[in-house]
Amino acid sequence: MISLTINGLPVSVEEGTTLLEAARYLGFPIPTLCHMEGLSPYGACRLCVVEIGQEPRTKLVTSCTYLAEEGLRVRTSSSRVVKARKMVLELLLASCPQSKTIQDLASAHAVRQQRFKQEYEDCILCGRCVRICEEQMMAKAIGFRGRGSSRSIGTPFDMTSETCRRCGACLYICPACELRCTYNEPEKAICGGCANLSPPCVETNQFDDLMCYMDPCVACEIKKDSNQ
Amino acid sequence: MPALTSISDLTELRQQIITERSQAKPTIVVCAGTACQASESSRIIRRIKRHLLMNDLIEKVNLRVTGCHGFCEVGPFILTEPQGAFYVKLQHNHVPGIIDAMLAGEYVEELLYKDPVTGDPYYVYDEIPFFKGQQRTLLSKNQQIDPIRLFNCISKGGYLALEKVLTNPDPDWIIQEIKRSGLRGRGGAGFLTGKKWELASKQDGKSGKFVVCNADEGDPGAYMDRSILEGNPHSIIEGMIIGGLAIGASEGFIFVRHEYPLAIKHTLIGLRNAREYGLLGKNILGTGFDFDINIVKSAGAFVCGEETALIKTIEGFIGEPEQRPPYPIEKGVSGKPTCINNVETWANIPVIIQQGADEYAKIGTDESTGTKIFSLVGSIRNTGLVEVPMGMPIKELVYDIGGGPKDGCTIKAVQIGGPSGGCIPHWRFDLPISYGSLNEAGAIMGSGGMIVMDQNTCMVDVAKYFMNFLKDESCGKCFTCRKGTQRMYEILDDITRGNGTLEMLDLLEELAQAVKDTTMCGLGQSSPNPVLSTLRYFQDEYRAHIIDKRCDAFVCKELVGAPCQAACPVGTEVWRYAAHIARGEYEEAYLAIRENNPFPSVCARVCDHKCELHCKLGTTGQKPLAIRALKRFITDKIDPDIYHPARIMEASGKKVAVVGAGPAGLTAAHLLSLQGHSVTLFDAHSEPGGMLLIGIPSYRLPREILRREIAALVDENITLKMNSSLGHDFTVDQLFKEGFDAVFLSLGSMKSLRLGIEGEDLDGVYPSMEFLRKFNTDGISLARGRVGVIGGGNSAIDAARTALRQQGVEKVTLIYRRTREEMPAFEEEIDAAIEEGIILETLLSPGKIQAKGKTVSGIECVRNKLGDRDSSGRRRPVPVEGSGHVIPLDTLIVAIGEKPDLENLAGEETSPVETTKWGSINVDPHTLDTGRAGLFAGGDVVTGSNTVVDAIAAGKRAAVVINRYLGGEPLRQPEEVSRPSVYIEPLSSDQQVEFRVRPEVPHADISVRVTNFEEVEGTFDAETARAEASNCLRCDLEFISPAAEEAAAARSGGDHQ
Repeated sequence: MISLTINGLPVSVEEGTTLLEAARYLGFPIPTLCHMEGLSPYGACRLCVVEIGQEPRTKLVTSCTYLAEEGLRVRTSSSRVVKARKMVLELLLASCPQSKTIQDLASAHAVRQQRFKQEYEDCILCGRCVRICEEQMMAKAIGFRGRGSSRSIGTPFDMTSETCRRCGACLYICPACELRCTYNEPEKAICGGCANLSPPCVETNQFDDLMCYMDPCVACEIKKDSNQ
Repeated sequence: MPALTSISDLTELRQQIITERSQAKPTIVVCAGTACQASESSRIIRRIKRHLLMNDLIEKVNLRVTGCHGFCEVGPFILTEPQGAFYVKLQHNHVPGIIDAMLAGEYVEELLYKDPVTGDPYYVYDEIPFFKGQQRTLLSKNQQIDPIRLFNCISKGGYLALEKVLTNPDPDWIIQEIKRSGLRGRGGAGFLTGKKWELASKQDGKSGKFVVCNADEGDPGAYMDRSILEGNPHSIIEGMIIGGLAIGASEGFIFVRHEYPLAIKHTLIGLRNAREYGLLGKNILGTGFDFDINIVKSAGAFVCGEETALIKTIEGFIGEPEQRPPYPIEKGVSGKPTCINNVETWANIPVIIQQGADEYAKIGTDESTGTKIFSLVGSIRNTGLVEVPMGMPIKELVYDIGGGPKDGCTIKAVQIGGPSGGCIPHWRFDLPISYGSLNEAGAIMGSGGMIVMDQNTCMVDVAKYFMNFLKDESCGKCFTCRKGTQRMYEILDDITRGNGTLEMLDLLEELAQAVKDTTMCGLGQSSPNPVLSTLRYFQDEYRAHIIDKRCDAFVCKELVGAPCQAACPVGTEVWRYAAHIARGEYEEAYLAIRENNPFPSVCARVCDHKCELHCKLGTTGQKPLAIRALKRFITDKIDPDIYHPARIMEASGKKVAVVGAGPAGLTAAHLLSLQGHSVTLFDAHSEPGGMLLIGIPSYRLPREILRREIAALVDENITLKMNSSLGHDFTVDQLFKEGFDAVFLSLGSMKSLRLGIEGEDLDGVYPSMEFLRKFNTDGISLARGRVGVIGGGNSAIDAARTALRQQGVEKVTLIYRRTREEMPAFEEEIDAAIEEGIILETLLSPGKIQAKGKTVSGIECVRNKLGDRDSSGRRRPVPVEGSGHVIPLDTLIVAIGEKPDLENLAGEETSPVETTKWGSINVDPHTLDTGRAGLFAGGDVVTGSNTVVDAIAAGKRAAVVINRYLGGEPLRQPEEVSRPSVYIEPLSSDQQVEFRVRPEVPHADISVRVTNFEEVEGTFDAETARAEASNCLRCDLEFISPAAEEAAAARSGGDHQ
């Protein structure tokens, strides 16, 4: 067993436990996006960062990939962590505002502004689909291609995959609603447009800001833009 | 030859080779590294071989083809041994001459490396400053051996270290030795190599361990790893075998970029040779130790240099970094412990083993030992690879080894550590280079890329360049690295296009910090460094881009527009009048000049023409367009009366006082009068003109031309009050009491600075301003006999040339304490002074002034030599002991600078203006506001002695600001980018000249001109002017087309004309 402290609370966990698991065991909430139980940890979204080590030599690591170490001091919501997380969410909103998952996370972390050039991407490259296809569906039909700004997910050479069984797990698991969303063109989207069961602002006149998470609501911005 | 089966075999072989080659034959050394091959060194080699064969010299002369020596700038080159002659930038037909000279023990002087400043040749290789300052532990091997010949390597001490460790194999001893040497990883992070090895050796090695040589060098402009692999692959092989023995590995990889074909070739040859001779593979030298090395070629992604990504790549997966821990030494290639070191680290291992750890640790500093190779590139004279001991100050590396900036440039920063490194500004060049100090200064050692930047580099653009590189080279796994670099690039791009806001700077910093914090690997964590370090040291450049919409390096195209226009303080559309001159439309050309400049004829003669400094012709390898001469041509040709300024006829009823009728005051008065304000212009002298009249001699600026230009500016709205001096005849308080709504102080900077030496009050010693004023306004000649002038600025030259023209002057000597290159006076003025026979004594400092009675009789002087460099890279003049001597003089003029005379402001009741430590008035640079309501100041009284065109610009700004003040508007006007807005059809290409020589304006005959005060400079004839004007590259056309002009006109609500 490995003993460590999380937010000042001592905890003992088995070797090989990630910090995320340990923190959740103690009930400390850590937001995640690319993480999913049953899939191998990947560490792509950087939302689950926690601060480790003794001051002044602390650093941020992703709790989903970092394994518990003996005597480690972990803080899950220090000011440095919160600041970094908010910036991650702001970046996510700037790229993929239609996702209800991202909107909810942003709302929960009181992210109320988005200062970058608005993009409407339908993928945040969290890699959940790639991992579920490989690890749970044993298909390995899709994977990452390219690097940097030209990184993308798809089948080899964009050809219809013979190993894909059309199981739909990739669609089901996607936090950014890739493919599942039938309204992924900005003009048609309402608040993310996808099959959200409770779209927050379908009738903006009626609900006004009541249901809106964002100020201004990035999703509604789309609608305004398309009306112009 | 059969494989060597024991250590003694190797020793014997080495002995045998050395004895066989002991007879000293002259050797020709040629570099065939990638850089030299690109400059055709292979042709040189072929030619040498042919010459040796044809002349039967094979037995007499050796040829050694080596790897990179580092001085790639001068390639292809030949080095002769043992003579040491270094012939540079050769062509193949130079070869026979060099070989003949070498055999005769002579030199081919004209091909030897020459000092770039003095032009003196260096006869011995080691004396060349580029090599002299280095400590070439690794690079000198490159010069000594032929990389594809194992025997050559063995004879020069190759595999000696292996011999040493295999004689008594003790892994612990090796590790302790490396630990004691203090060697730190040369790949960038600087982890202690010995410690890494120790940790690796303790890992369970039952299933095997690996050592890896990381040669995935991807930094733009860095190639030291390549040069070692190309030039001395056996040092890497030897280092890796020793490493394998130390940590218990039996297999190694060299991970090298596929863009390095020559390095791969040489390494493969090296590996094959080493295997053939039993130095690699099973049972090395019969000791029972097995070790083999394979090459892995990477496809060239920058991120693959990161060790976890490198492991993934070796395993055959996508190169993506992984979470550490577990570290590669615990779980590396195929899950086995793997020890990864950089090429340079491996190359250092044999050196340490051979000479001993203690000896090695003596080099460098306590915290960073040994030597480090840097790739010195950018705006510097000597580019190439340099190897220096750690702890060397940056300035030594840049100025002594690097040879300093290119002509006419000043270095402002070095970028160290590649894309994830940082910029270090010139004022921190005292910093010793070591891992710790660089980190503290916000850069990293990185692999050792060092890019030197001068004033023509825009730091925002640099940050943007690196972000662009990193956004493409990020692996893309971490969201914050992939998107963060992209967003930083976007923000920087906005700033360079003039769309920046101050909030963006905060966002940029916040984002950079978040990216640093939340990314996984070294690439991501260091990717914001270019942004953070430029923000830290060059915040003012960012602000200039955002607030003033200005890029002082003239790099950001969107902000600069046409460089000539952007460079001109008064915003003259040079391209426009050049285009008109080319078309023969002289009146339009005059209007284009006059619209922005109330003193066209004056500026046509005495402007310091910043436009020419930034002219694209000049910055792209030619001589700049002769802009000032073109302006002179037009102002000589066209009657100024054709210009009718736009005037508001209705009087505003506001009164403005302008104190000081120099160029700034006259400009302000003129422009305010056009706005309908009633202006009173005060001046202490009897005639308006200020410094133009008092300071500038008439041989440069004929008086009738100056008077005509001033008269055209003074209209009925302007009242002249001459001979009334501030502080004596009136005060600022009085002006406000008398009902002036605003006051503009343009008092100029006319008080000569004193030397502060003994005898300065003697008869015959004059401050330059007094000397010039007496002559220019009163016609009194003060100089006689032998005249000395102390100083190196424009007023010193003016005083010297004026003195030369006065009656009874025998000779004029100009004394300056630094070198001619550092004289602040205009280059053409210095040339003219020397032409006229003025003696220029540089590196000479004045001491005591000697007297005969009450009159000056001479000056004691001390010769200076150039000493240490200050932080700007200039070498301080240091007096040479015993060099004191006396220059006999009858007149001494002190012209070491002027400062504003602010004593006249002392009598004010209300709080006097704020002054700076240089004795000038402190104002807001954008609004010229002194802090007192309605009181503004501009021109030399604010800037200290400055150029005419800057004073005119200050006057223009004052007029705008005062007009806003009088109208009750906020003073500050948001800056706008001024881009070309008028389209002028360029001439079709067949009318243009193909080969251009910058024409020179005619000058008056020297023998005649030194006897009178007639204008020296002449003017172009129409044909020359039109031909030269048509050489303009027309940078404006990039921004304006007929359609764009219509759109711009529609936006501004009218026709531009």
